[in-house]
Amino acid sequence: MRIILNTGRTIPQGNFVEYKPSPEYGAETSRAFLAPLDLMDLGIEAGDRVRVSCGSRSVVLTAAASDDVPPGTLFVPYGAHANHVVPAATHGTGMPDFKGIGVDVEPTDEPVKSVWELMEDLGGKRYDH
Amino acid sequence: MTRLLIKNAYVIDPLNGIRGEVMDIAVKDGWIVESVHDGAEVIDARGCLTLPGGIDSHTHICGTKVNFGRYMMPEDMRAGRTQRRGVMHSTSGYSVPTTYGNSYRYSTMGYTSVLEGAMAPLEARHTHEEFAATPLQDTMANTLFDGNWPVMEAVRDRDVKRAAAIVAWTLAAVKGFAIKLTNPGGSECWGWGKNVKCIHETVPYFEVSPAEIIETLIRANEMLRLPHSVHLHCNNLGVPGNYQCTIGSMDLAPDLNPDRQSLYLTHVQFHAYGGTSWKDICSRAEPVAHAVNRKPQVTIDMGQMMFGKTTTMTADGPMEFNLYRLHHNKWSNHDVELETTSGIIPVYYSKTSVVNCVMWAIGLELALLVASPWQCLLATDNPNGGPFIKYPEIIALLMSRRYREEELRTLAPEALSRITLPSLDRELDWHDIAVMTRAGQARALGIQSIGKGHLAPGAEADIAIYPIRVDETDPSRQFRDVIRAFQKTSWTIKRGRPVARDGEILVEGTNKTVWVKPKVPDQYDMGKDPEFARNFDRYYTVRMSNYPVQELYLQRSLCMESEAQL
Amino acid sequence: MIIRDVICPFCACLCDDLDVHVEEGKVTAVDNACDLGSHKFLTDHRMKGPVRRTASGWQEITLEEAIAETVELLSNAERPLLYGWSSTCGEAQSAGVHLAERVGGVIDATTSVCHGPSILAIQEVGHPGCTLGQVKNRANVVVYWGCNPMHAHPRHLSRYTTYADGFFVRNAFKERKVIVADVRGTDSTNVADEFIRLQPGGDYAVLGALRAIVRGKGDVVPEEVAGVSREQLFRIADLCKSARYGAFFFGMGLTQTAGKYKNVRNAIELVDELSRHTKWTLTPMRGHFNVYGFNEVCTWMTGYPFAVDFARGMAFYNPGETTAVDILARKECDMCLVVASDPAAHFPAEAVEHLGSIPVVQLDPFPNLTTAFSRIQIPVAVSGIDAEGTAYRMDGVPLRLRKVLDRGYPEDAMILKEITRRIADGGGP
Repeated sequence: MRIILNTGRTIPQGNFVEYKPSPEYGAETSRAFLAPLDLMDLGIEAGDRVRVSCGSRSVVLTAAASDDVPPGTLFVPYGAHANHVVPAATHGTGMPDFKGIGVDVEPTDEPVKSVWELMEDLGGKRYDH
Repeated sequence: MTRLLIKNAYVIDPLNGIRGEVMDIAVKDGWIVESVHDGAEVIDARGCLTLPGGIDSHTHICGTKVNFGRYMMPEDMRAGRTQRRGVMHSTSGYSVPTTYGNSYRYSTMGYTSVLEGAMAPLEARHTHEEFAATPLQDTMANTLFDGNWPVMEAVRDRDVKRAAAIVAWTLAAVKGFAIKLTNPGGSECWGWGKNVKCIHETVPYFEVSPAEIIETLIRANEMLRLPHSVHLHCNNLGVPGNYQCTIGSMDLAPDLNPDRQSLYLTHVQFHAYGGTSWKDICSRAEPVAHAVNRKPQVTIDMGQMMFGKTTTMTADGPMEFNLYRLHHNKWSNHDVELETTSGIIPVYYSKTSVVNCVMWAIGLELALLVASPWQCLLATDNPNGGPFIKYPEIIALLMSRRYREEELRTLAPEALSRITLPSLDRELDWHDIAVMTRAGQARALGIQSIGKGHLAPGAEADIAIYPIRVDETDPSRQFRDVIRAFQKTSWTIKRGRPVARDGEILVEGTNKTVWVKPKVPDQYDMGKDPEFARNFDRYYTVRMSNYPVQELYLQRSLCMESEAQL
Repeated sequence: MIIRDVICPFCACLCDDLDVHVEEGKVTAVDNACDLGSHKFLTDHRMKGPVRRTASGWQEITLEEAIAETVELLSNAERPLLYGWSSTCGEAQSAGVHLAERVGGVIDATTSVCHGPSILAIQEVGHPGCTLGQVKNRANVVVYWGCNPMHAHPRHLSRYTTYADGFFVRNAFKERKVIVADVRGTDSTNVADEFIRLQPGGDYAVLGALRAIVRGKGDVVPEEVAGVSREQLFRIADLCKSARYGAFFFGMGLTQTAGKYKNVRNAIELVDELSRHTKWTLTPMRGHFNVYGFNEVCTWMTGYPFAVDFARGMAFYNPGETTAVDILARKECDMCLVVASDPAAHFPAEAVEHLGSIPVVQLDPFPNLTTAFSRIQIPVAVSGIDAEGTAYRMDGVPLRLRKVLDRGYPEDAMILKEITRRIADGGGP
């Protein structure tokens, strides 16, 4: 399904913004809020996982239902999971498209990665000292 | 510390009655002394003009609205850039330079002290942070009270002492230097998008008029025994016909102080317009100057407009909005709760504009028609009339009729019938210029007592040596040499240390900020007044305990204390 | 011990009425803070000391070693990027600008991915603004456009707008009308008197329609603009024009959607237009507690508010070229110093990848996602908790953050000055 991705701040994301290795942070930033209609079209329920892709990049998120999210859009809290697919192009402004990005969504059984796994995918090394 | 001997200096020191004498100046540990022994560094001034360091009594270089002006004008930043070199940081900016840009350029011109034209008390911390990054000039801040709620309430209640007490607490809390009133009463009106048109019109809710605010604060200022007088940007800036309001404002000033004026009116050029609209605007510098001549209790500065690009920025919010409506250019506004307002808009003053030509003439007319240079100081309301780097050109225009005539020939012809400048023969001399650019400021600001503005033993060793020989120069004909000389000192000495030499900055510098602390009796201490504190915490969005500016923000601090007579 | 009037160092509301309870060198409770602020004071996941990443794992090193290696990395870099700055005090930001100037690098702050577009708009049309107390005391109409203050600035409504009684607005909750515009329902739209629900990407058109109506050219407006009915548009325009004082607040909904700075420009021009009829002001909802501070400091020092490139020895500003995401995506920098922010978490993946191929040094109290890319991390004191310093609120009001306890961490300002001094003394680039 083709859908529009918007990312943004939430209180739970903000509460753990200084403790990103925490499970709470990863859980919040890997949450994908969809309208119940879209969940139905995808054939999934809240708690199932979806793969969100943009160009050659993709990330697995956990679906959540929200009556506030308009059908045809997907809201993901600001963070490493969403940014795994946000394109870097800034159109000469310095600001990437953190909202209004066209992405593909499909159900998946693959696991949601932790923030450290995402970082390692990009060439980093987890901090486990 | 340092010992310095300046030899063969051609000194003009108006505050000490010296009108051109070759002498040596001895400096020890930052102060001018009678003599120094061997071992002093020697600077040979070669008979060149040597003056006390320049003092700018009204310039917008540090603070919230200045910084607004900077970041909304990246194109201005590109217009004047220098690289990092030696101790000099990189600089940017033409009409609104960065703080280092301002400091280096002022230093190059021999300026060692500046009075920031407007500081909102709530945002004073910002001004002080920028002062610290303007390291080669000692700094002072005009503190805005024109829309101050507790003050207006005291004015309404005819309680001069309470007004004085509020001013005293605020100035000491935010490390301010003087009372500044910009479009008094108008700021509060602008909180609702309105303005006042006349000094007797009352402000909604507070029911006070600009005249009442001005009168009350003049008396409060003298009760507090502050070094400077009330510093006023009159209502109706820029409005054709406003000269009457200006004279009316001057009429409000009693003569309360034997050492200096009781009212300082700033950038009076913008307030000396006749006519009724842009179509028939004309100069009314004559009646304004004559009013000044009749009133020893008034001092003005020119607010000279110079052609070219610049940025207007004042605490006169409604005026700036009107400029925006006129020019359709980018416009910024910043209203400060319970206190004041401000606006910024870039402008271009053009020789093809009759209005601009009239404005240019008015500033010069004021300086030539006011009899005493002590009463008409040189300034452009930097950057509103033009950037301060143009001061040397203004000096030359005042000293040379020929230069004025040359310029007059390039103006829009229609302007000539609206101005009196072509008929003015007077040429100011070196002594007049020394008064208008430093001695007069020192007296007007009340800072001679801390050693500013003169060169006798006991003065602070702020000295400017200009590369020009007075005995070999006829400024009337050689005005280009005059310009060149005042653009770049051979030496600028600050606190006894050479800081600039032929345009090269020699030291990082740490400046001094001068502020005031009038001491009031306990019952007038707003810090202990429950009503003041209650209203503060209710209506401001900042807690009273977080409002005062800590002294650590000042690189070096000089507090001028006084015993208030309440 | 209770320390009163503490300034919260989380978001740019800079609430300064916190009471912090400190017992035995630890914060035990915080009064008056929102959830975000409380968490900041109460949680403690700080890194213990400087670390270095090696092939075999994380190594504890001394502060001296960390500084020495950072000096070397910066000195050897041809094009260093100094990024972050928003969560530390002005004294550190100032030191950072001096350092960037000294090494001829690029300095940029989180502004570029937050309200950078707002600044670009301001540079085109100006900023008709005010301090927040003007809104509290006077505004009877408040607009929140493309932002969700209940989540990002939780006390904004109670301190400055909807619920904040003021001098001329004695019963704010009753007298103030709140308009919220967003593409989705949020906790903020739930408290609005008028919710403008527009389609994603529709902000520019809706703002344009409102401008047309305010200018008296409402006939050009069709039946529906980006999902908003003509009827609602006229109602909103009328509400705004008849306000005694209106305050417009906006956030990422305008800066991060298509059009970016053009959306903000349209909003500013709407406010300018309304100002011809009545009193209106506009305020960007700045995110981090001191991001505006960085813009202020950088501007008075360099002339530009962010994205400053010192490679020429003087300040050069060109957002899109000298902004951090672009520099990283183009793989242009060969070293990165990160202070007080977490680009690995907040930048697109393509930009983050480059951090994996260059040396990165981070000054940050906490292990964060940028730690995964850092060769060295030096934990520093937290401004507003164990370090004092200056911060600028979203409306430009400067406050001095307090120090409520001592944790023995060095201050980033001190470290940055030391690094700069050593590079200057060592001959430097």
